[in-house]
Amino acid sequence: MWLGIVGLAVPTPTPAAVPGANIFSSPLLLSVIVWVPVIMAIAIATMPNPRGRFDMLMKQIAFFTNVGLVFVLWIAYNQFESFLSTPQFAESQPWLAAIGASYHLGVDGPGMTMLLLSGLIGIVSVLASVGIRERVRSYFCLLLLVQASINGAIVARDMFVLILFWSAAAIPIALLILGWGGPRRNAATWRLVGYWGLGTGALVVATLALYAATGGTSFDMDVLLKVGSVSPRVQVIVGLLVILAAATRLPLFPFHGWARDLYAEAPIGVTVVVAGTATRLGAYLLLRALVAAEPAAAQLLAPLLAALAALTVGYAALAALRMADIRHSAAYLAMIPGGITVLGLAALSPLSIAGAVFSLFTGGLAAALIVGVCATLAERAQSRSLLVLGGLAPRMPILTWLLIIGGLAVLGVPLLATFPAELMTFFGSFKTQPIGAFAVAAGLAVAAVALAMLLRRVLFGVPNPDAPGVSDASLGESWYLGLLAGALLWVGVFPAGPKLPGTDAPIFDPGLMKTMSAGISELAAPYDLPTPTPASGQ
Amino acid sequence: MKYLALVPEALVAASAVILLVAGRFGWIPAYARRHVPTATAAVVLIALVVELWAGATLGTYFGGGLIQDRFALFAKAAVLLAATIAFAVADWTAEDSLSIALAMPLLAALGVMVAASAGDLVGLWAGLELAATAGVVLVALRRPDLGLRLLLTGAVASGLLLTGLAFVYAWSGTIELAAMRQVLFGGTATLALAIPVFLLLTGLAIRASVAPFHLAGIPASLGASPLGAGLVLGLVAAAAATVAIKLLAALTPIPDAFSSYLQVIAAVAMVGGGAAALAVRAPRTRIAYLAVGQIGWVAAGLVTHYRAGIAGSLFLLGAFTVAATCGPAVMGRAEGGAMSWAGMGVLRPGRAAGVALAVLSLAGAPPLAGFFGEFAVAAALAQSGHFALLALGLLGSVLSLAAAAATLRLIYVHSPLEEARRGAALPVLTRVSSAGAVAFCVVIALYGLFSSPILGLADQGAEALGLR
Repeated sequence: MWLGIVGLAVPTPTPAAVPGANIFSSPLLLSVIVWVPVIMAIAIATMPNPRGRFDMLMKQIAFFTNVGLVFVLWIAYNQFESFLSTPQFAESQPWLAAIGASYHLGVDGPGMTMLLLSGLIGIVSVLASVGIRERVRSYFCLLLLVQASINGAIVARDMFVLILFWSAAAIPIALLILGWGGPRRNAATWRLVGYWGLGTGALVVATLALYAATGGTSFDMDVLLKVGSVSPRVQVIVGLLVILAAATRLPLFPFHGWARDLYAEAPIGVTVVVAGTATRLGAYLLLRALVAAEPAAAQLLAPLLAALAALTVGYAALAALRMADIRHSAAYLAMIPGGITVLGLAALSPLSIAGAVFSLFTGGLAAALIVGVCATLAERAQSRSLLVLGGLAPRMPILTWLLIIGGLAVLGVPLLATFPAELMTFFGSFKTQPIGAFAVAAGLAVAAVALAMLLRRVLFGVPNPDAPGVSDASLGESWYLGLLAGALLWVGVFPAGPKLPGTDAPIFDPGLMKTMSAGISELAAPYDLPTPTPASGQ
Repeated sequence: MKYLALVPEALVAASAVILLVAGRFGWIPAYARRHVPTATAAVVLIALVVELWAGATLGTYFGGGLIQDRFALFAKAAVLLAATIAFAVADWTAEDSLSIALAMPLLAALGVMVAASAGDLVGLWAGLELAATAGVVLVALRRPDLGLRLLLTGAVASGLLLTGLAFVYAWSGTIELAAMRQVLFGGTATLALAIPVFLLLTGLAIRASVAPFHLAGIPASLGASPLGAGLVLGLVAAAAATVAIKLLAALTPIPDAFSSYLQVIAAVAMVGGGAAALAVRAPRTRIAYLAVGQIGWVAAGLVTHYRAGIAGSLFLLGAFTVAATCGPAVMGRAEGGAMSWAGMGVLRPGRAAGVALAVLSLAGAPPLAGFFGEFAVAAALAQSGHFALLALGLLGSVLSLAAAAATLRLIYVHSPLEEARRGAALPVLTRVSSAGAVAFCVVIALYGLFSSPILGLADQGAEALGLR
């Protein structure tokens, strides 16, 4: 069955009729997705709130804004033409003509996949933040701004716009940690600002190097990221800078210094949004700016990328094995899906690239679930120490199931969405990057050991009589964690969407795999294996 | 109608003189004192509207002494906007003399306007000195020692400038900028020209308080009243930068005469400003060093010595002028120690938002005015191959952003001090100042949002200087 899915990585040559398509269309669809959260953030920031009377209303505004965005995204997802490889819902307006920057938005298959992930994580992050009591206005205002900047970075088709949103995401995230984080929030914030600032600097230099090399006329991706537009030497310089930018964001070893503190200290809603989408932008950048645009550099730097992926997975697994804090363990486990995505990109085969794109979505869900469930469990058990936590399964049945699903999702077991993604990645990688693929697989085996030890100790070990009292997840917590787990299961069971029995007509969901495939053939075109030609005279 | 374009200068100059005379002879009755700042802000606003309306018409006045072109329009509009908002938002309980605190920024603005439309070296020098002298007066009103320090340093700067201008005149044989440019087209950079240019740039760097020449400007701005600080950090630096842009545009045919030295100044200012901003804790000190970092970016744009770079510098100069002039004014009298602005987001949300936006814009945070300006300069640096300077600028920006984040934390995350809760050290809250704070926030946000037409105007300004 799964091998059949692999075949879907190649785009369908003919359009399939999707019920509900073309019901609604808007030339400003992507602008709506980017700017509506900003408008609602301004509304929250300016609405009167005497003595916190309207705190709940602010939470509701943030929630329904995200629900509305997901509704719009669902329409866009259903209308998405999966047989087209060009960007869709495109908007282009001249902006800064003097430097050649334009307001150019558009999404292809991978972009649509990332937008769906962002929409889902947006709802989850608001649900996870319902318990916020202090400075509610500022919190939800900043959370919506994070959402907007991530959406903007996903749909940007101009490097100036991408940099604008890419860098803008760091400020509200830093403020959210500073304002609502745990006891070590200061260290977490400064590390985040330092690493992400370094990455943003690298991205800006890479962009400006491309800009200078292409004649300094435009920042449009169609110009800057056009295959063959710059010399191989410039490609390598740009490639190294892009890898640095992506490594600080994803994060990859050895640029992961911010991740442990952030995942452990940030409020749960922020942890979920960072692990789920903000970090995936790193891999998304690698896909766009290196793999798809600089084939010469990508081929030269592929071993480096594979090594980074292997080191990340191996290091994260070993670190998770040694941690004595459940949120620290979760932080390291959440780094693993990013390593797998990078392995897929490093392998440079159409199948592995498709697997990497799929794992952008599935890895985001898995990372968000593991950090979310561990943070919730630590809150409910009133302790983060693995020396204190033990035998919680009978007293926390919901969180037990969710932790098991989250852990298995990180490892990529069948029936969960990460499985087909990892399958495609490994199948595509063993031929072109055998050492890297083997090292990542070995790292996954160590991660399985670390996860098994974590589950045994926390859930099935001997209860600690001195531990503080515990309680299971509340309804709200069950909802937001359940949404992540449900999405992992849904995509795991129906990666190509459910079909009417006996037909190829999709029901309700056109299929993430199919949507994702749109555009991948073009992105992976430089790495297509040569087709054998028939011998002359035959 | 020809002289309509000079109405803004006339309005500003007349207002300053009337305020000084009225203040000296006690003609302002007590009941009217609270309306005088509003009336002055309204007059400057009218001057701004006239400038935007009539200033679009090109013209030459006083035998080429003053030229109204797109560059002049841009610079004058920026400085009038900054002055209007500063007057509206100022905390007048923190100023020592109403009439002088109103008149000096007006004179400084007039100095920038004169420099912006100057057609020769005399106009440039006169405009800069007028702005700088106004700064000395306002600083000395509260801290005579710092005023004297600023005066003496200014005298050194003035001496360097005059010597440099005299040698440039001797070398080119003319004081008119356009004619000088024509003469230089056939010349080559020699030591005889490089030395006066070196003196000129050093003098301008001292005037703009650019690191490492900030030893008088920064302490003076820290000791002055809020408007005095804004004047020294914003208007005087804007005057120096305006003079630098016009002078270097005239010298572009021989970039070797200034490019290397200007690169050093820009690099030290960008990195030094960012590092110093991170090292200090008091919000006003931080604004001062962030301003130093951003003026370094303006200088970096001039290094490119071609149109796109100078357009970027001019665009950034507009954003800088508004943020650096109004930033300290928005802070009002709560400008003291490191914790004076703790929790101000709760106590004074409008002013807190203004300070936050000023700090972020000066640090170059997206999507505010400073970011667009710095990016435009960065694009020009990349186009011209100055990657080392670009890398140093980015390092400075990262340091500045970290400093800005620390200030935001102080404003929005810290709990207010007890004395601030009691209202002891809070900036005054009036209808006009609240409206001014909102206007400041809107301008800083819209400057970025409408960066396309503004950068287009800056580009026309650079073209007006003869750059291609």
